[in-house]
Amino acid sequence: MQSLADELKSKIIKALNLDEITPADIKDDEPLFGAGLGLDSLDALDLVSMLERDYGILIQDMEAARQAFVSCRALEEFVRRNRR
Amino acid sequence: MYSRRPVVTGLGIITASGCGVSAVWEALRTNRAGLGPLTLFASPRYGHHPVGQVRVDVDRLAGDARGSRSDNLAWIAAREAVTQSGLPVSDDGPGAERKGVLLGSTVAGMLGTEEVLGRLLRGRRGSFAPLRHHECASATDLCARRLGARGPTATFSTACSAGALAIAAAAELIEDDEADVVLAGGADSLSRLTLNGFGSLLLLDPAGCRPFDTARAGISLGEGAAMLVIEAEETARARGARILARLSGWGASCDATHPTAPHPQGEGAAAAMRRALERGGLSPSDIGFVIAHGTGTPDNDAMEGRALLRVFDSQPPPFASVKRFFGHTLAASGAIQAVVCVKALGEQAAPANLGFENRDSKIGLEPARQFQSRPLRHLLSNSFGFGGNNVALVFSCPSPEPASVAAGVPGPSSGFPLAVLGAGLVSAAGHTTTAVRAALAAGGVMPSWLDSPAPFPLGRLRGYSCGDFGAGEAISSVRRRRLGHLQQMALVAARRCLPQGPPASISPDRVCVAMGTGLGGLGETAAFVENMLVNEERAPLAGRFANSVHNACASLLAMDLNLRGLNSTPTHREISFEAALWHCAGQLRQGRADLALAGAADELSTYSQAVGERWGWWDERAPVIRPFSRDLKGRRRPLPGEGAAVFTLARDDQGASPLARVRGVHFGRFAAPSGGPPEAQAEASWIRKSLERDGVPLASVDLLLTGASGWPPWDDAYRQVASALSVLLGREVSLGAYKQVCGEHHSASAFGFFVALGLVRGEIEPALCLPASPSAAPAARPPRTVLLYTLAPGGGHALCCVCA
Repeated sequence: MQSLADELKSKIIKALNLDEITPADIKDDEPLFGAGLGLDSLDALDLVSMLERDYGILIQDMEAARQAFVSCRALEEFVRRNRR
Repeated sequence: MYSRRPVVTGLGIITASGCGVSAVWEALRTNRAGLGPLTLFASPRYGHHPVGQVRVDVDRLAGDARGSRSDNLAWIAAREAVTQSGLPVSDDGPGAERKGVLLGSTVAGMLGTEEVLGRLLRGRRGSFAPLRHHECASATDLCARRLGARGPTATFSTACSAGALAIAAAAELIEDDEADVVLAGGADSLSRLTLNGFGSLLLLDPAGCRPFDTARAGISLGEGAAMLVIEAEETARARGARILARLSGWGASCDATHPTAPHPQGEGAAAAMRRALERGGLSPSDIGFVIAHGTGTPDNDAMEGRALLRVFDSQPPPFASVKRFFGHTLAASGAIQAVVCVKALGEQAAPANLGFENRDSKIGLEPARQFQSRPLRHLLSNSFGFGGNNVALVFSCPSPEPASVAAGVPGPSSGFPLAVLGAGLVSAAGHTTTAVRAALAAGGVMPSWLDSPAPFPLGRLRGYSCGDFGAGEAISSVRRRRLGHLQQMALVAARRCLPQGPPASISPDRVCVAMGTGLGGLGETAAFVENMLVNEERAPLAGRFANSVHNACASLLAMDLNLRGLNSTPTHREISFEAALWHCAGQLRQGRADLALAGAADELSTYSQAVGERWGWWDERAPVIRPFSRDLKGRRRPLPGEGAAVFTLARDDQGASPLARVRGVHFGRFAAPSGGPPEAQAEASWIRKSLERDGVPLASVDLLLTGASGWPPWDDAYRQVASALSVLLGREVSLGAYKQVCGEHHSASAFGFFVALGLVRGEIEPALCLPASPSAAPAARPPRTVLLYTLAPGGGHALCCVCA
């Protein structure tokens, strides 16, 4: 069975149209934004949308989003804690 | 002698805080906020947010205007403004051609469009009538028609700065002697799209907006309209009008950094303010009060605070955001602020920044806490939009003494011809002159079958698609993944036009951009709305919302090429390109830019397919577009197309060797009592007058290149205008067309401009543009002057004079 981390990586790639990236390219502890994948605030909002659609997690403000998207590992933790 | 300085002689306004200037001022005087519950439509997710909803019965108040809610708001404000100015509210007699209407709009008829799309998705039938008012140009045309204005008429859609940009553009029309009086302003209604869109960006404050407060958490959405009657001082004085204020300065800039977020240090905002002050011949210390953009988002207010500190050398004058009175009214907000400025000058008092309680130490500034009497001579008003489209306006007390004519006013209309230095194209006919010539020689392009539209599975449709236009090679995948189809076409066209980018010798601040679009990113808009309706407002698509604004193309080009001058998005049906060309030409002629990118783009989309087909808009029986063929019957339209074209222009005195020259650009409304095509004699004399103004000898005109598309009433009109022009000239003027190779779309005239360049350069033979009469004798030499002449059903006409 696919781990949650791998599942999230696939969903990130799909949600953000990251055609040239494979799940293996996303390292668990690398920052998702800024240096890492070079994503920006609009990408973050599209991930917010993905979390709501696929995991029923509602994010209401940017600060919560920032913490959730520190890295893939942080996101995995965040989803585990908040999914419905 | 009085100058052509722009002055304000009439004001009109309708907002959540009241209808009419007196009511709104009373709300400002008594600190009465207009925010309240949303009742206009149901919003499962955001319905609990307070909004600035207009509470009066808008449709009733608009009388027999019968437009969309945005249209009706616009007309209510326009009627008040014109009434106050003392001009007749409806008069299309002498002088009608000297009256213009320039409005800002972003939401336009979206509220009605959402209802139609909702029905389509549920498979229900119903009226398509709301779609008649979908376009941003709808309010502008409604006001112009009712006021009897036939001068320059255009609409701007630079998101939240659109109303302010329309006012700035009106000032330039007046100064350049292209109009004597212009109705300028903005209007936008509430809509599900914008409410969900700002929600998707996490930019709605559930407590209502609190501009500049340390706890601020976003905007409150509002709706409304505001209008100004702007006149040349000389004509206003001559008719004894009461002058309420002078529009003494205006400035525009582009951040060129991000699709939705402002430049963190407020560089673009500061540049717009500085340019407005400079234009008004004022120093920062002259400004007595600033009406701030102050939306209440954490980023905007922090950025604007920094910009104010920079422009005013750490000591800004008192300032206030009025957003909590009205909500953020998007395209209307700049116009609403303009009305507040003019009224403040008249009353010598300024409003409070409602919603502010605690100072944000990161901003270090405190806005005005009280409505207060103040001695005011000059006020500055800020408007900043998505895409970093910034505009600042300065309003000043009317001067008792006539100004010297020379004061800051450029000479009228000098500066033409303009040099066309480069051209980039994305079209169904390919992207080179050779390809376009071959397509014309073949008599047209075959439209292709389009994919079945996903959100609205209503059958298949053919159209003039650009197919694979090379986006994969031209745009990196990192950049491309966030772009809509329309933006990709525009970007590819711009890269083809400027493969090396702008010359390093030109400062980015001196390059302006105007990208016209009739319908904007319909595909992205439809995707956002579909998701919103199907998922009942869950999981909104923020990226799609960012791409749904009409100015997504112009601001993308600015970001991609780092262009920080004026960034404009004219959207006015089939003459959007000509309005873009005009806006750029003005910047070059007045010496405010050294290089301009002018273009236009429109796309085929699931939305236009679904709606067009259901509505029976397109004529499926006609296999291809054949201009002047009388193929089409009744009200049906030719098959749709898409494309993008971008051109670089400069003044013709820069020593470069141009591809061709533009001798003049004119646009306005034609007289059509029946609501159909114009009367040929009147059009021919409008064309003659326009050419005389440009100093183009009539005898040099060889070809009238038209937007004919096989649609009988309009093709007949083009043919009759050419005949009437031939009579005026005493010799035959050839008639040409180009839509047989690019399809019918709102940006088709930009493709026509590309063809015109080929014609005057001798690379395309004039006979190729006449598919319906292959017997036409081939011309011995290239045409010296090609007139690109476009009619827009709805009442617009435009003329662009292209020479070798």
